[in-house]
Amino acid sequence: MASHEEPAAPLKLMPLTPFKPDLYERAWQSIPHPTLPLLATAHQKSVTVFSLSTLSAHSSLTNGHERSVRSTSWRPNLPPHKLSLITGSFDSSAGIWRWEDEGQGDSGNDLEVEMTGGAKEDAEEKDWELIVVLEGQKSEIKSVAFSPSGQYVATCGRDKTVWIWEDVGASDDDDEWETVAVLEEHEGDVKCVTWCPDTNRSGRGRYSSDVLATTSYDDTVRIYREDEDGEWVCVAVLEGHKGTVWGAAWEPNPKTDHFPRLLTWSADRTIRVWTLKEEDDEVEAPRHAFGGLRGIPNTMRRSLREEWRCTAILPAAHTRDIYSATWSAETGRVASTGSDSIIAVYEEDAKGTATTEDEAAAELDGDVPMRNGDTKPAASKQWKLLSTTPNAHGPYEVNHVTWCKRYDAGCAPEKRGVEEMLVTTGDDGFVRPWQIS
Amino acid sequence: MENANPTILSVSELPTRQNKKKAATAPPGKDAESDLDIVLRRPEYLSAPFCEVPWASDDTDSDDGFTIEPIDEQEIYDLISTISDPEHPLSLGQLAVVNLPDIHITPSPSAPADPNTLTQVLVKITPTITHCSLATVIGLGIRVRLEQALPPNYRVDVMIKEGTHSQDDQVNKQLADKERVAAALENATLKGVLDKMLETCV
Repeated sequence: MASHEEPAAPLKLMPLTPFKPDLYERAWQSIPHPTLPLLATAHQKSVTVFSLSTLSAHSSLTNGHERSVRSTSWRPNLPPHKLSLITGSFDSSAGIWRWEDEGQGDSGNDLEVEMTGGAKEDAEEKDWELIVVLEGQKSEIKSVAFSPSGQYVATCGRDKTVWIWEDVGASDDDDEWETVAVLEEHEGDVKCVTWCPDTNRSGRGRYSSDVLATTSYDDTVRIYREDEDGEWVCVAVLEGHKGTVWGAAWEPNPKTDHFPRLLTWSADRTIRVWTLKEEDDEVEAPRHAFGGLRGIPNTMRRSLREEWRCTAILPAAHTRDIYSATWSAETGRVASTGSDSIIAVYEEDAKGTATTEDEAAAELDGDVPMRNGDTKPAASKQWKLLSTTPNAHGPYEVNHVTWCKRYDAGCAPEKRGVEEMLVTTGDDGFVRPWQIS
Repeated sequence: MENANPTILSVSELPTRQNKKKAATAPPGKDAESDLDIVLRRPEYLSAPFCEVPWASDDTDSDDGFTIEPIDEQEIYDLISTISDPEHPLSLGQLAVVNLPDIHITPSPSAPADPNTLTQVLVKITPTITHCSLATVIGLGIRVRLEQALPPNYRVDVMIKEGTHSQDDQVNKQLADKERVAAALENATLKGVLDKMLETCV
């Protein structure tokens, strides 16, 4: 355990006591709050919010959906006594929910709680309120996500579309959402939507800063940006996976000033890293001669496309579908899990440079001959497998894994909010924290 | 009806485990609670039907509650051959949609059993005609039946037997998609069809 015994000791995952209560049936996903010690778990027709301090239930969102809640996302940038979550459900609707700490809410809200809540225990059960229902998708919603500023929400589902909604409310407290785009390029269920974090992604040339990645049953990944006319356009199609792409995660904290890379994982049992080919003259790129491109159909805007290349395939660790992976902002490590109940942790070689990435890209593109006539792209050398933990939820499938800060009593006080753990969510209804040692 | 005149096997022709002790009995299929069971996978290790399987008398390490007679291909066949076809009043075994040689268990049931070792059950189905649009529903019924009946370390893969169906890749991909299967079970119409198919499982 002593940290001075490093550096050769292999990484180990030690199970901590699961969050209480056990949710009893399949749970899909657990999302940490961006700043507070809270974790939101989607399961059955509800979301249970757990406290990361007590590792037990804090509150729950119920009676908003007629079918399972598949996905949830925290609204960022709210004051600490206000919480807001979006839920995406198989009932084809998305809900925006709010929770207010009664002690700190403004007096108007206190009054309202007093008048409608009655007894205290009643009020506690009614902490979460469904404020707005976003309706439009025609079948199951598979994923929902707030953009980093909270200005946008993306939803996606089996109807092959991605919807982008914009907050047009007059203030933070005024929930009014408007559809600003319906993206129909995918040819199969859209499984995941994820917004690029706001590091290093400031408006590049012709686009605003918001960037959305979507993954699909059609085996592709797409990148969407908003152009200067306010149109959301697909700027890249990432092809390479040979099965449903279950999800994607952006590099949360790039070490250099490069644009964040994208991690994707698939039913083909691989995890890939994609890198944007950045033009040196990007910022100075001349505006198009037609002036702002206004009136030019999307199909003619070829020059606006971005070039994304697969620059790494992580070492093989899984024997069945990979359902989830997570990229740490602190350590840069990646963890993955899936149908085989294995948790795998990977680390990127610190020496990985732009040159080796280009070489890797060339190799993956088939620009250079494969060694030994191997027909598969070789796993890239710059990522190594640190550990695999089988039977993470006993024999059950694991649907989700995420890095998460520790705030529990088992963590030294000075490390609370700093030390990272993994949290996995499984078909057994357990939400399980893992200490990294 | 897509195929009004399928080839039918008589019950006596179907493969059985002759002279063997009674096969595991399936959960009673008709009460309201078992309907729920189909939708909700319960995390109990001792879920039906395995709690009814008699322990081997010479068992020395049964205290973990897991040590049961290994599940073989015949037992898988028994679990799914009695499922009713959604459009014929016949079972999938009688219609030869499921066939014993097309059931594969990996690792082999003769290998030592560890309750945490993942075991793959691959069932290749033969739809009655090549463009049978109900192939997905039949496959779904088989997947649901096996996931309901088998212990949680079993991973069920249902595929269309090569060359027997015109859109087998599409059907296989749907049947392998956990999210789609989960959503399908929350669709009342589809759930009704599946319940009816599974009613005849005993």
